[in-house]
Amino acid sequence: MAEISEEIIKTSTGTTLRHEEMVINMGPQHPSTHGVLRLEVVVDGEIVIDVIPHIGYLHRCFEKHAESMTNYQQVVPYVDRMDYCAAMNMDFGYVLAVEKLLGIQVPERVEYIRVIMAELQRIASHLIAAGTYGLDIGAFTPFLYMFRERERILDLFEMTCGARLLYNYMWVGGVSHDLPPGFIDKAKDFCQYFRPKIKEYNDLLSYNEIFIKRTANVGILPKDVAISYGISGPVLRGSGVNFDLRRDDPYSIYHKFDWQPEIGKGEVGTVGDCWDRYMVRMREMEQSINIVEQALNQIPEGNIASAIPKRIRPNPGDVYVRTESARGELGFYVISDGSGKPYRIKARSPSFVNLSVIPEISRGGMIADLVAIAGSLDIVLGEVDR
Amino acid sequence: MMRKYFIDIYKTIWSILIGMRITFGHLFVPAVTIQYPDVKPKLPERARNRLYVNMDDCIGCLQCEMACPVNCIEIETVKSLPTDDLGTTSTGQKKKLWVTKFDIDIAKCCFCDLCVYPCPTECIKMTDVYEFSEFDRNNLLYNFVTLTKQEVETVKAKAAEFEKEQAAKKAAAAAQAKAAPVVAPAQQSPPAQPS
Repeated sequence: MAEISEEIIKTSTGTTLRHEEMVINMGPQHPSTHGVLRLEVVVDGEIVIDVIPHIGYLHRCFEKHAESMTNYQQVVPYVDRMDYCAAMNMDFGYVLAVEKLLGIQVPERVEYIRVIMAELQRIASHLIAAGTYGLDIGAFTPFLYMFRERERILDLFEMTCGARLLYNYMWVGGVSHDLPPGFIDKAKDFCQYFRPKIKEYNDLLSYNEIFIKRTANVGILPKDVAISYGISGPVLRGSGVNFDLRRDDPYSIYHKFDWQPEIGKGEVGTVGDCWDRYMVRMREMEQSINIVEQALNQIPEGNIASAIPKRIRPNPGDVYVRTESARGELGFYVISDGSGKPYRIKARSPSFVNLSVIPEISRGGMIADLVAIAGSLDIVLGEVDR
Repeated sequence: MMRKYFIDIYKTIWSILIGMRITFGHLFVPAVTIQYPDVKPKLPERARNRLYVNMDDCIGCLQCEMACPVNCIEIETVKSLPTDDLGTTSTGQKKKLWVTKFDIDIAKCCFCDLCVYPCPTECIKMTDVYEFSEFDRNNLLYNFVTLTKQEVETVKAKAAEFEKEQAAKKAAAAAQAKAAPVVAPAQQSPPAQPS
């Protein structure tokens, strides 16, 4: 905890003013903390002196739960609940880890389906991130528009696996359902519908002067600080570091698609400010649409269940697999002792690491900017606390 | 400084006008909001909502209970007598167990669909019923057993009796075997084993 200093200031007229720092709590029920996060803020007037994030309000013992399951497949519903805004990406990382442990090669159709789902989910997650960010700053309309688009993605998911939020869709060795008839056409329709919408959002929100004034040159995260804090995902790319696991450590079939990661360029302010982080997400949605369209055109026919193992019983050993989730590097470290259930699962969740940089970048700013900074990091508390 | 001030004002008004243009355009787009309680959305075929168990087809294999990650399914079975005929499932499997308890605590259920896949007779499935909230938590404990309480008790008593009989028979057989002189060939097994 920061020490609260008290000092007496003499004014020019000779009277004395007591001067002290104040500690206020932002959260855990604050709407701008995007969940149950408590920020203990030390302020001097309106200037933020220090921020201490307190987490753990949503801790559900995911890692311990995973050890008490009877098999590896049962962990997937729990993994879903880590990052409930991007559950497909979470499933993807976990099943890749277990598959690597088992040494399974999944059919090509499954790989394509997984990539399509993961990228659609990334768009849905970024829509929430951008929409609620606008809401934090004070723009209500884009939030509603973005949720309308997200609804179409959720409809696609619901038609494929029956669930809208927590899918349990990706299985070890495959996926639970094949694509339903009409999915490919509907998804292509969505891609066509969504592309012009991104421009609309840019007009409505990204290049809005009020929005720029609130976010540009606020919460600047320089390259070196970002790297030393282990930041990943859109936040890292917003700082101008060209690093995306889908390209730099390709997993699944990402090497087959033509796309490039987006990085922050500091168009309206400094590289690594809130606007850059936000804008990287907006541009990433376009790249995701590119990937989805290519995947939809190339998807081969085939059996989706051929590689699903009857009994998941990996040899003793451990494995670490990292994937690029909507929020950054999602890693799963799985240890097997040769039995049917995991001996230990450790998740490296991107939101948790990204959250750690909040004190560093919000010192010296205004309280109102703290809202902008917390929103631009796009944390999901289910994943921070697990 | 003064110039920048006016430029800011101009830019702000301009971006508000752009925003207004876009929102005005949306006035002429058909509404997407579904007036929920009055209008209900059509759920896709694969919708995963309330669980339903068709007890006519349940063979009491406990596969769904084992697959559940949150332990919301509780099943209890009792062996049927050889003389009982429990009928067959719609897939043609012969039923051998009385299912005396099949409770699903739907309040615990996480709707993951994992119980549906292992079922050999496809009798447990997710339906498209999604409006089942209750004021009392106990009402969410669904009881699927078709047997009445009395039937359950008679079945259990019968099974216990049968077991007792079997045990008595066994004991009698064992006593007889003991009483009988030791049979020489019974101890002559080692030569059969390959070295």
